[in-house]
Amino acid sequence: MSILPLFQNIFAPPRDLILIILAAWIGLTLSERGAPGHPVNLDALNNLLLASLGGFLIGGRLLYALENFPTFSQSPGSIFSLNTALFDQWGGLAIAVLAGLAYGRRAHLPLWDSLDVLTPLFAALAIGIALSHLASGAAFGKETNVPWAVEQWGALRHPTQLYETIAALVTLAVILIQKPAAGPGFEFLLFVALSSASRLVLEGFRGDSTLILGGLRAAQIAAWFILLGALIGLDQRGSPGQAKGARVRARSGK
Amino acid sequence: MQPILRRSLSGIILLAGLAWIFASADQSNSATAGRIPAPQKGFLAPDFRLATPDGRSIALTDYLGKGVLINLWATWCPPCRAEMPVIEKLYQAYQDQGLIVLAVNSTVQDDPTAISPFIRQYGITFPVLLDINGEASTLYELRSLPTSFFIGRDGVIREVVVGGPMSEALLRTNIEEILK
Repeated sequence: MSILPLFQNIFAPPRDLILIILAAWIGLTLSERGAPGHPVNLDALNNLLLASLGGFLIGGRLLYALENFPTFSQSPGSIFSLNTALFDQWGGLAIAVLAGLAYGRRAHLPLWDSLDVLTPLFAALAIGIALSHLASGAAFGKETNVPWAVEQWGALRHPTQLYETIAALVTLAVILIQKPAAGPGFEFLLFVALSSASRLVLEGFRGDSTLILGGLRAAQIAAWFILLGALIGLDQRGSPGQAKGARVRARSGK
Repeated sequence: MQPILRRSLSGIILLAGLAWIFASADQSNSATAGRIPAPQKGFLAPDFRLATPDGRSIALTDYLGKGVLINLWATWCPPCRAEMPVIEKLYQAYQDQGLIVLAVNSTVQDDPTAISPFIRQYGITFPVLLDINGEASTLYELRSLPTSFFIGRDGVIREVVVGGPMSEALLRTNIEEILK
């Protein structure tokens, strides 16, 4: 058996979640290792992550239950079900962000520095998500005849999950090797810029895109606007004033 | 990097991104759209023909126009056993609205003599199909038991649930979706 089918058998859903949990663990380790260069209280940051995780899990389930209220009202006990499908992922993510922001404000955590510390975690999570796509066959490619096409879902397709994994690995590598010479938020915005740029490119090879306005891919348009915002943010942090401020901060050890 | 150079580079990246958005637009709507049979959400449900324990022959295409829940299961599988009563309950509730449940027993990895007692024990009234050679299990790329496929009236898979037991809310949500 070749490596890919073996990998897909081992991590077939729902076991693909193991890959995301593993990535989160590695990402947390990397984040903690890089934290000393930033003026962030690690304990408070860990509590922020716990608050976000709780918000994600509870918020995602509650929002799903609210969206399907007539169904849940007939079997209220289902709200405690272990079925991961009973979950609003985007809603959960929104609640997680709100919970994180609320906790960070309360604990007086500096926003951009905290995001910089957490960037390796986000980058590692992106790898875990890409690998879970590879294991489950989700986020599949469009049909193609390129020599490296893979047989999937009844056709030869672009191996978009592999593209996604490689892009996420490169993003993490860039994040880890870049020198923090610019202002707070630079690492996070660099991650956002690289991730949105790769999504913008790779979405064009996907076979499951949500299409709008006569065939345009919705995710590409969203990625373009996110890339625009990230580039503006990077430009501001790359300006001499910001960089000087960052250097002064680094020297003073704050 | 000089600000002017940096901004020029950002502009070029954004323009190239815009060009790529239009160049990679999917005007032929090639994204799945239910054209190819494959065991994945958004694809046409692969057809199969299997026998029931009482010797009838049933094909998936016999139920085109109805909402179909394919549940792949085995008698030895605890979550399969746990979700059967709920599936039966909801089959009773929704069959008048056009719900069909096809309980495909993965006979290739089950004890054939245990199936009929199982059906009686759980009072199953929907068709149970015997996948003796593993044809349907292979076709649906079965990797975990139970696995359920919710298929719309147009024959397109609307949801795939791997593992179980499925809660009543999960079943209801997906059943109501495929009966639309």
